[in-house]
Amino acid sequence: MLPSYYEFFNPVKILSGNKALDNLPYELDQLGVSRPIIVSDKGVVKAGLMKHVKAAFDSSGMTIGAIFDDVPPDSSSKVVNDIAVVYRENGCDAIVAVGGGSPIDTAKGVNIVISENSDNLMEFEGADRLKKPMQPFVVIPTTAGTGSEVTLAAVIKNTEKNVKMGFASHLLFPKVAILDPRMTITMPPHITAATGMDALSHAMESYTCLQKNPLSDAYAFAAIKMISENLPKAVEDGNDEDARSAMANASTMAGAAFSNSMCGMVHALGHSVGAICHIPHGMAMSIFLPIGLEYNLEKTEKYVAELLLPLGGMEEYTKMPEERRAARTIVLVRKLQQNLYDLCGLPRNLKEAGVPRNKLESIAQAAINDGTLTFNPLEMDEKDAMNVLNEAYTW
Amino acid sequence: MGKQYRPITPGKKWFKALVAKIVLIVLGRAFQSGARHDPDIKKEVSAWPEGFIVIMNVLPFGPRMALEKINGRLKYRGTKYDDGDLVVNFKNLECAFLVLTPQIGSAQAFAERRMTVKGDIAYAMAFTRCLNTLLTLLYPKFICKRLLKRVPPMPLKKLMVKVVVNVIGVPFGL
Repeated sequence: MLPSYYEFFNPVKILSGNKALDNLPYELDQLGVSRPIIVSDKGVVKAGLMKHVKAAFDSSGMTIGAIFDDVPPDSSSKVVNDIAVVYRENGCDAIVAVGGGSPIDTAKGVNIVISENSDNLMEFEGADRLKKPMQPFVVIPTTAGTGSEVTLAAVIKNTEKNVKMGFASHLLFPKVAILDPRMTITMPPHITAATGMDALSHAMESYTCLQKNPLSDAYAFAAIKMISENLPKAVEDGNDEDARSAMANASTMAGAAFSNSMCGMVHALGHSVGAICHIPHGMAMSIFLPIGLEYNLEKTEKYVAELLLPLGGMEEYTKMPEERRAARTIVLVRKLQQNLYDLCGLPRNLKEAGVPRNKLESIAQAAINDGTLTFNPLEMDEKDAMNVLNEAYTW
Repeated sequence: MGKQYRPITPGKKWFKALVAKIVLIVLGRAFQSGARHDPDIKKEVSAWPEGFIVIMNVLPFGPRMALEKINGRLKYRGTKYDDGDLVVNFKNLECAFLVLTPQIGSAQAFAERRMTVKGDIAYAMAFTRCLNTLLTLLYPKFICKRLLKRVPPMPLKKLMVKVVVNVIGVPFGL
């Protein structure tokens, strides 16, 4: 059934596959720029991925304006301002983000202060606050999960107030996203597993939450199929380029889905446990996803049942009676969770993730103030959140 | 001679603008009263900083209404402010009409991107919770069922608050 009204926007050009990265200078040239700053982190450098990026510029006639590879795991307004200074000092004319969620979101923040010609990122917190055209922005993800290469949002820490600030604007979309299997191949199994479950949670929440729409559904459905078929393979054998490529594509599709249809309580709880206990986002998503699906089942049973097809395959779907499909979908998510625990020790519950039990109350309080909760199909107040957290603690 | 092409001056939706203006006044007064008498709204507002200003605004030219926390209490400030710490914008008059009449709830309006927020999302969530509580005080259960994800129970104490908000809150803001 169509929603009474919806909006969908995804203007990012996707380059995917073998040697995709080598097209970077061509794409920059098409955007009319030749002196980009590269924003990245030490993990990317340590994994030897920066050499692929630098090599892509060889014999291109372009200059790398600067490489800023000190983005911390929690991107902050201070880092954004530091990079903006480097950008201006070196006369850069475009931004290339290389990395996971933190470098990509930081680069989006840099784009805001550069394009709005400001030195105060905080002025632009919130939705639809940007007015000026942005600098050309290219993203090369090195994880397959955040989907940040195709989203209009960025989360950056306010270092003065010690809170996370959200930015959302259609102007924040990158112009180009490059999915090159070489860039995710060095990802260790536990990060592959966690980021893959992040992508799955994006797809499943976007398919079941309030803002679902036919275009997001199509992306989410395809993403779930690819994740189900390829995530265990990518965790088991990191050198499997096909599985890596499939996961990168799935993550991008799930990103396009949730950027338009948003997420719900799984993300609200995940953001909060991440902020309070510094649990990696993907790990939190893996823990909360089956519980979130169960919680909302009263309102979303039909949609969760439909997800059995991409998650379990045609045979599983057809042999299962209609009334048991939703429950079976959740069982399969649990099985995937268990499989990833067996393969690489990805925690199945908050206790295994090292969350202290005495933090649950503050996590519940933070979760009900997270914006994603607005789009959850059912109400979740503080008491409900505590029940969910208790369930997630030792499941 | 061919067809003449001239600029067209769009008309005015005066009726919908008037309705939106009246509902925002009612909502503002009810908010002021609710924040005084309802324990749930009172608790939320107590966490807001002194001088905190919330605006509900219909883009591009209003109507709008402002609430301000003064001396620990939430006051309806009419159209005194055009910017605040938290600004909830309706994208156009039709969006505002849908929400304010009330044909759709705030969750659906946000989901359909008919409303946008400027400011700290945590405060926006708190404001939405207050708004939802207020709706249960203003409207009967069968309307609330359509607007809210979950309609909370209405014990006798809450029913008294409902009477106070409707009898003296909306007309006098008390």
